[in-house]
Amino acid sequence: MGLLQGTLDVLILRALARGPRHGYAVARWVHDRTGGALQIEDAPLYKALRRLEAADCVDAEWGASEHNRRARYYKLTPKGRRRLRAEESTWRRYAAAVSAVLRP
Amino acid sequence: MAPLRGGRVRGAEAVTRRPDDSVDAELQFHLEARADDLMAGGLDREAARGQALREFGDLEDARRYMTRVDMRLETTRRRRNYMGDFLQDVRYALRRLRESPAFAATATLTLALGIGANTAIFSLVYGVLVRPLPFPNPERLYAAYSANRSADMLRGSVSPVDLDDWRAQRENIEDLGGYFYAEGSTGVDLTGRGEPRRLDAVFVTPGFFPALGVQPSAGRLPSEDELVRGGRDTVVVLTHGFWMREFGASPAVIGSMLSLNGRPHEVIGVLPPSLRFPTDGADVFVPYSTIPDSGIPRLRQVRVLSVVARAKAGASADMVRSELNTIAARLAGQYPEDRAWDSATIVPLADVISGPVADGLVLLFGTVGLVLLMATVNVTSLQLSRAAGRSREIAVRLALGARRGRLVRQLLTESLVLSVIGGAVGIGLAAAGLQGLLALAAGQLPRAAEVSLNAPVILFALGTSLITGVLVGLAPAWRLSRGGVQTILRDRGWSVAGGRHSRLRRALVVLEVAVAMMLVLGAGLMGRSLVALHRVDLGFNPDHLLAVQFTIDPGRHSIASAPNSPAGYATYYQQVIEKVRTLPGIRSAAAVKDPPFRGNGERNGFNLPGRPVPPGQDPPTATMIHVSEGYFATIGARVDGREYTSRDTVAAPLVLVVNEAFARQYFPGERAVGKSVLAGRAQIEIVGVVNDIRQVAMAEPARPTIYIHNLQNTRVKTTIVVRTAGEPLAMAEAVRQAIWSIDPSQAITSVFTFDDAVSRAMARPRLLTVLLGAFGVIGLALGAVGLYGVLASLVGERRREIGVRMALGARPADVVRMVVRGGLGLTVVGAALGIGGALALGRYLSTVLYGVSPTDLWTFAGMAAVLLLTAGLASWIPARRAARVDPVETLRTD
Repeated sequence: MGLLQGTLDVLILRALARGPRHGYAVARWVHDRTGGALQIEDAPLYKALRRLEAADCVDAEWGASEHNRRARYYKLTPKGRRRLRAEESTWRRYAAAVSAVLRP
Repeated sequence: MAPLRGGRVRGAEAVTRRPDDSVDAELQFHLEARADDLMAGGLDREAARGQALREFGDLEDARRYMTRVDMRLETTRRRRNYMGDFLQDVRYALRRLRESPAFAATATLTLALGIGANTAIFSLVYGVLVRPLPFPNPERLYAAYSANRSADMLRGSVSPVDLDDWRAQRENIEDLGGYFYAEGSTGVDLTGRGEPRRLDAVFVTPGFFPALGVQPSAGRLPSEDELVRGGRDTVVVLTHGFWMREFGASPAVIGSMLSLNGRPHEVIGVLPPSLRFPTDGADVFVPYSTIPDSGIPRLRQVRVLSVVARAKAGASADMVRSELNTIAARLAGQYPEDRAWDSATIVPLADVISGPVADGLVLLFGTVGLVLLMATVNVTSLQLSRAAGRSREIAVRLALGARRGRLVRQLLTESLVLSVIGGAVGIGLAAAGLQGLLALAAGQLPRAAEVSLNAPVILFALGTSLITGVLVGLAPAWRLSRGGVQTILRDRGWSVAGGRHSRLRRALVVLEVAVAMMLVLGAGLMGRSLVALHRVDLGFNPDHLLAVQFTIDPGRHSIASAPNSPAGYATYYQQVIEKVRTLPGIRSAAAVKDPPFRGNGERNGFNLPGRPVPPGQDPPTATMIHVSEGYFATIGARVDGREYTSRDTVAAPLVLVVNEAFARQYFPGERAVGKSVLAGRAQIEIVGVVNDIRQVAMAEPARPTIYIHNLQNTRVKTTIVVRTAGEPLAMAEAVRQAIWSIDPSQAITSVFTFDDAVSRAMARPRLLTVLLGAFGVIGLALGAVGLYGVLASLVGERRREIGVRMALGARPADVVRMVVRGGLGLTVVGAALGIGGALALGRYLSTVLYGVSPTDLWTFAGMAAVLLLTAGLASWIPARRAARVDPVETLRTD
């Protein structure tokens, strides 16, 4: 199953909604939450992270990982938080519309 | 204490890592963390690594993409930081200025004065000298003159007959045309619209408008056949100003008729408002061909026209010059009247228009430049003393790890903020000053209407502000950029001898005094020059002397049997003079064609008996001025011999009056009365020698002049000169009525008093004196403030030394003497440098000075005394403060 345009962005924003995470943690979260249903490679994920950083939706800072290694932590900016809320409601409406259509 | 947070947190890693290193580290971490997780799940190291890589996908593509984005982000971040720092510096600078309002006000005002004066003068320089003339391709426009090298007359007027030949034979010249205009004396009489009036007119020949490239703003311009004798030349073009004033800019006036000099002229067009050449005072432009031969005979030897020529695209000045020279030489060979006028001179038109004021403007610009230099030095000095005051703060900040470059930037920003505020205030001052300046310069400045605070002028002001800001900030910043914390603390003046920075401040004061000396010298010399001009012996007494000018219409005043007979209008104005003489309140009255400061006279050749001119040479020339009987008595000139009287009628034998310059040149060492001059074959006796009368300008001595009796050789242009018992202008109406009682349709050209004429002749030097005087006073004040400032802060720094001296027995008077001596020492060095500078720059002044040398000893001595006195006063105040130092107090404080 292919990934709809912008889906990855909203997944990442959602991943960061609970607090800063490094790139690997974001990747794991996405993988776990989708239960492997979405075959997401890590490369597009990192590119999306950079894209979001350039769009000022996330901010990055170096910090120590749980195993005390240097990792780059991402966190939502206020702008990213607003975007997440907007995308979520769009998604909910979309999903409701689709399921209404599919209702027997 | 300034904030040290740099806004550098976000981009911190970029300082230590290049973007691709950082991307590699991030990817590395991901792959290792994944491999670790997979190994924890039971895979071996190799397999775990392999799977991590596979799961990642296109690693190289991601890496490239991330690096590119990181680099872009880094650039933006850096720019934002820079702007952030800058804004922060500006806010900090504003806060610091608010904290010391006295300093802020002094520095801002000083800079505003300097920048404002420069902006105002630059707007004049730009509008008058720099800005291109308002014609298409103005660089191709030249003024052209007939030249007579044997008589050393290189800029002679051009004969209309010659001009026709020039025009017909031109090749590299696109077009050229002539105009005849003299302020206040060329005009046409307008009748049929209320009282008869004299309109100021420019008379133009074919080629004049095409050469300039003028387009009408309404109607059309005259065609070739409307500008020649026998053509349909009774047409008139209105200037924009006259069209507005007289007709309220109504387009309906095109095609209507105006009665000019008694003949109907069709109004065919209106000139654009930008046309202010050759004057912005004209009412109408009229074909030159309408001037009858009885007014100006159309002959080769009658040279009356000024000429403008437009070179063809690509034709150089040399090509135009050599072409006109060739034509002039050809005409000289062809026509005996042109024999001596065998060449031509061309000058760029812009130089001709602005030439008379260029020297003065450049001088003024240089002078305000010096004023700005002083303002800059003054504020620099203030900044240095403030920097000394905050050296402890700066040392602490350096010790706390603030970067030096950042501190330097902050200091420079502070100076820039100061200078930009100063510049803004300065532009305001310039706007106000410019109005005053233009009012003062009214009538003295060509192209004055093109002067304004336009975009280039504002740019100049901003540029000047920024440069000034950098200069002002440079010295404190430079000091900061050198030496360590220790040096700065030591330099603060805790050492007895005073540190490096007080040496720098002393040097600045010397520079300031030197510049002040030059400014004061300029003002002094100009003032002396004005006094010399006031003392000029005019050769006549302008007090209570009124002039009423008019031009006789030969059509109406001639003897019936002999149309346009000179005797006809001679009788007319003889009647006018006699009528005026009968008026109560009139002491005496006479007439002259060219009154002093309102006309140059005519230039004519003559011969002397027994002194034949060798063949091939021109006879000597002299200025000829037509006067009536009783003229010299009326204006208060002294005559050796006699002047013309009522016995010198048309029928009586011709006699002449000459001036002393004439007598000195042609009859040196002899009494000229009784000698004679040849006119043709007739010997004409000189019956009187009148003292020299200033005719052209205050600063120009009288030329050899022959005064011709106007009954014997009449001109239409007439000025009635009246010596009144009371206020002269109050008599003007009576004189006008007297003229109208003889000819009710006589238009009056102008009415003026000679006091006013003399005052106008002095207007330009007076204006320069006022301005240079003002700049001199500003320079003196800035110099005094600078000296005071440095001495006051030196005294402040040396309180301890002074205290020790007093404890050791020095009396207050000794202390005062010590400080004043120090101040005067600096002043003497500065004054000497300034005098040197003034001697070197004197030649720029010499062109505007009259009757005083640019190295005049008395002026130099006097102005040096003024400067020393001011310096003494400026030193005495801090000296008094030093003398009040309480030794016990100072010794206790440290």
